[in-house]
Amino acid sequence: MAEIGRVRIRIPSSIRQGDIVKVRVLVIHPMEIVERKDGKPVDKNYRFINRVLVTYLGNEIAQFETTQSLSENPFFSFAFKATEPGALKVTFLDTHGGKYEGTADIKFS
Amino acid sequence: MIWIRTVAGAVLTLAALIVGGCAPTEAPDPRAGLPPAPWISRAIPEARGEIKVLPDGKREAVRYKGWTKADFGKFRTYAYDDTRPEPRPGKAPMPAIAGDPKKGRSLFLARAKGPCTGCHLIQGADVWPAGNVGPDLSTFGDRGLPDDYVFNQIYDPRHVFPNTTMPPWGTGGVLAPDEIVHLVAFLKTLKGPAPPEKDRERDPNTRPKPPGFGDNLDPTNNPAVGRAEAAEALWAKKGPAGAKACADCHAGGPAKAMKGAATRYPKYVTQYRRVMSIEDLLTVHAPETTGMHMLAQSAENLDMTMLVKMASNGMPVAVDLSTPEHRAAFERGQANFNKRVGQRNHACADCHTPGSGRGADRFLGGRLLGNVENGLTRHFPTWRTSQAQVWDMRKRMQWCLTPLGMNMLPADAVEYAELELYLTSFDKGKPISVPGIRH
Repeated sequence: MAEIGRVRIRIPSSIRQGDIVKVRVLVIHPMEIVERKDGKPVDKNYRFINRVLVTYLGNEIAQFETTQSLSENPFFSFAFKATEPGALKVTFLDTHGGKYEGTADIKFS
Repeated sequence: MIWIRTVAGAVLTLAALIVGGCAPTEAPDPRAGLPPAPWISRAIPEARGEIKVLPDGKREAVRYKGWTKADFGKFRTYAYDDTRPEPRPGKAPMPAIAGDPKKGRSLFLARAKGPCTGCHLIQGADVWPAGNVGPDLSTFGDRGLPDDYVFNQIYDPRHVFPNTTMPPWGTGGVLAPDEIVHLVAFLKTLKGPAPPEKDRERDPNTRPKPPGFGDNLDPTNNPAVGRAEAAEALWAKKGPAGAKACADCHAGGPAKAMKGAATRYPKYVTQYRRVMSIEDLLTVHAPETTGMHMLAQSAENLDMTMLVKMASNGMPVAVDLSTPEHRAAFERGQANFNKRVGQRNHACADCHTPGSGRGADRFLGGRLLGNVENGLTRHFPTWRTSQAQVWDMRKRMQWCLTPLGMNMLPADAVEYAELELYLTSFDKGKPISVPGIRH
């Protein structure tokens, strides 16, 4: 899978102030899984996303801790209350120090 | 020399006169657009439709992982060189054994033997999901039909209904005569009145149509979009021959360089002298220009096809049907669409055209059958939620007839390409939307 770390954010096309907005986020990532032999992992240096941070208007509004049990190209969905226009930023951190960011501009119609 | 040429010309004209019958002047060549030599498949090994002979002499088909290995070689196929006629309606004497309705019922529901419930509804909460391609048999026993009539009707329904879509179960060898006797005994027990329906989804006539899977172009909804975008790396990758990439000749990126290209396919490609879809073209065009292999049904081929087709998303399909090659290919595709093939003696038209006793827009088991008139091709390659795989039109065609007992042709076969051209003619003017998302 090419282009590891491409972040895609989907928000509803029209948002009104005060709405509860459902956000869908997808990141291109292999999410390597643990291979086991005789019950033990064969190599511990797997590359997978272990932290997801969500900031809105510069404030952190959510944090997720994730494990390699997620599929490749993981997809997250969450809701938040849109109080002011501004940037919604989602940051994915992986076990190899990778940092992938995506931003959606929250505008009111 | 001139004299010989004249003679040859005269002979040809005479041949055209004979072929053309009463319209000798503009007799179209039915072989126009066919490749001059047999097409050598450039597909991955499991997509070539090959038959392997095992050391013990048994024949085993090479197919995709998880597909049946049974060889259906004795039944006819779509191959243009397969000129076997449709098998004649068979007849067998009804065995003089006592039919067991219980055995009959389990045969009626047995997946490996049909199942009859795929097309016919009967009573019972365990009959789910039933289809409605064939008549509702919930109260069939009330008709009081004689045993041997029902037996013959199942053994080969063509004796009574020459154009039926029901397979000749006995002639094809799916059901043994003894099994049909059990089915007859079971059908006689189906007496009315049928109890009121509790589950609206059990009855295919009241079952709601599936709502689909949402926006197919949303990468957070359709995993195939991510795969197609991955092919952008392949687009820029230099191949071993002359260190060239797709991007070196097709300038401006795939979205610009390929805009509208997919609307014209499948089309007759003069250079290769046959009808090709984008998948077919990539199998020969990619190695010739870049040295990279893009075998039919390989991940590279499917991803690149999606990338190319996505550049035409929203644009109307505009396949050419005017040249003699396209016209002849369309007609061959149409003939194959209506040709009954395989163990079940089915034609595409049986399930995918609307009408009495036909399957389009009805349920085959729990699956709603597509209607060819709505266009079946413009969302392919498509993400199949049931398989978690990207399938192109060819794999769909190969799959369609495998459970119906036809040996599949190579994925890049001319026969499929021309059938695809026929199907795509119904999509003409409708917008492309690739990759699709379906069950």
